[in-house]
Amino acid sequence: MANAKEIKERMASIEETRKITNAMYLISSSKMKQAKKKLADTEPFFYAMQAEIARILRHVPDMHSQFFDGRESIPAEERKIGYIVVTADKGLAGAYNHNVIKATEELLKKPGKHKLFVLGEAGRQYFAKREGIEMDTQFRYTVQNPTLHRSRVISSEMVEQFRNGDLDEIHIIYTRMINAMTAETEEQKLLPMKKTTFLPEDMPALVGTGLYQEDMVFWPSTHSVMANIVPNYINGIVYGCLVEAYCSEHNARMQAMQNATDSATDMLNELNITYNRVRQADITQELTEIIGGANAQKRK
Amino acid sequence: MSTFSLKIISTDKVFYDGKCEYLVIPTIDGEKGILAHHENMVIAVEIGELRFRKPDGEWVTAVVSKGFAEIVNNRASVLVNTAERPEDIDVKRAEEAKERAEEQLRQKQSIQEYYLSQASMARAMTRLKASRNRRGDI
Repeated sequence: MANAKEIKERMASIEETRKITNAMYLISSSKMKQAKKKLADTEPFFYAMQAEIARILRHVPDMHSQFFDGRESIPAEERKIGYIVVTADKGLAGAYNHNVIKATEELLKKPGKHKLFVLGEAGRQYFAKREGIEMDTQFRYTVQNPTLHRSRVISSEMVEQFRNGDLDEIHIIYTRMINAMTAETEEQKLLPMKKTTFLPEDMPALVGTGLYQEDMVFWPSTHSVMANIVPNYINGIVYGCLVEAYCSEHNARMQAMQNATDSATDMLNELNITYNRVRQADITQELTEIIGGANAQKRK
Repeated sequence: MSTFSLKIISTDKVFYDGKCEYLVIPTIDGEKGILAHHENMVIAVEIGELRFRKPDGEWVTAVVSKGFAEIVNNRASVLVNTAERPEDIDVKRAEEAKERAEEQLRQKQSIQEYYLSQASMARAMTRLKASRNRRGDI
């Protein structure tokens, strides 16, 4: 058994670590509260946006827009697929980064020419070390405090690459928070957009029958309206994903830090018991020695 | 005067939700005014000043960025990235943003960066213009 001094030192060091993890827990929980508020603020916009796009597409079924061009003539192996991967800037967030990376690895097994656009330092470092992966090294953005400006920069870059044919498909991989306890890694296709994704699934009979075909005028033209709406819509999705991922990251970190603090407390309790036992043993031994010495003196 | 319902939603909040008599939207080729019972239409909204008159006669101004407006069955919804009241605009910040955009526009850059700087420039100018109009010191 270690001596009392060693145990005391160990306890002091655990106490320090516990203070740090506890502070990180508090920071993450306050950051998550902010992120949750942001998420709630943006929700009406995204739902409205989705509904509007669905409505517009219903009214103008024969719309020819480059954003809906699936480029089916390109075979699966030749397709250039871009993935935006949203990871955290730091570790210490439980399985958060690991889950995103694992989901990305699964997608990389599919046919096609993959290119990664990684957000967050943790993911960037992982994929930089991995062999045989094309990663855009110019694509450097932090995931801290998602802003509309940053998502605008990201989405305009991606839309541009899609437009000039550098990419045929764009997906985003992020973590969605289902509730306070569970988060799920999700993959969403940004471009090209599919008309069917916007059609209400429960009424396929109505599609194409003309029941919903009210007249609708596009000002100044269909093309310019779509050119305005689609990049905006993509920007909206990217922003939503960033906020969602930021929220999940802090939730994961909060849980991880809570666990760390709890187990530090457990360890301290155990060490405290051991320390008391060692101290008691030391005292008993000292007493035995004194009594033994006194007895030896008496016998003289 | 007959009214129609108007909903202005930006990414971070619902700016306005209620009745409106008259709505003016900035579009690519100028402003477009909308009254009640307008025909169904989708309009591309540009960066600029949006105005509308509430049933009590009060005019409300908002600085909006890109987006679109949709009018269906006497209901108008305007979806834009940002919508701000002129009094909420931080003049100093807008001035700094304008300078930054000018600086970036002067430097050699790719087409895409050019468009981005141009858009930030337009936003900054509109914000400055709207906040100056309010104080009436052009």
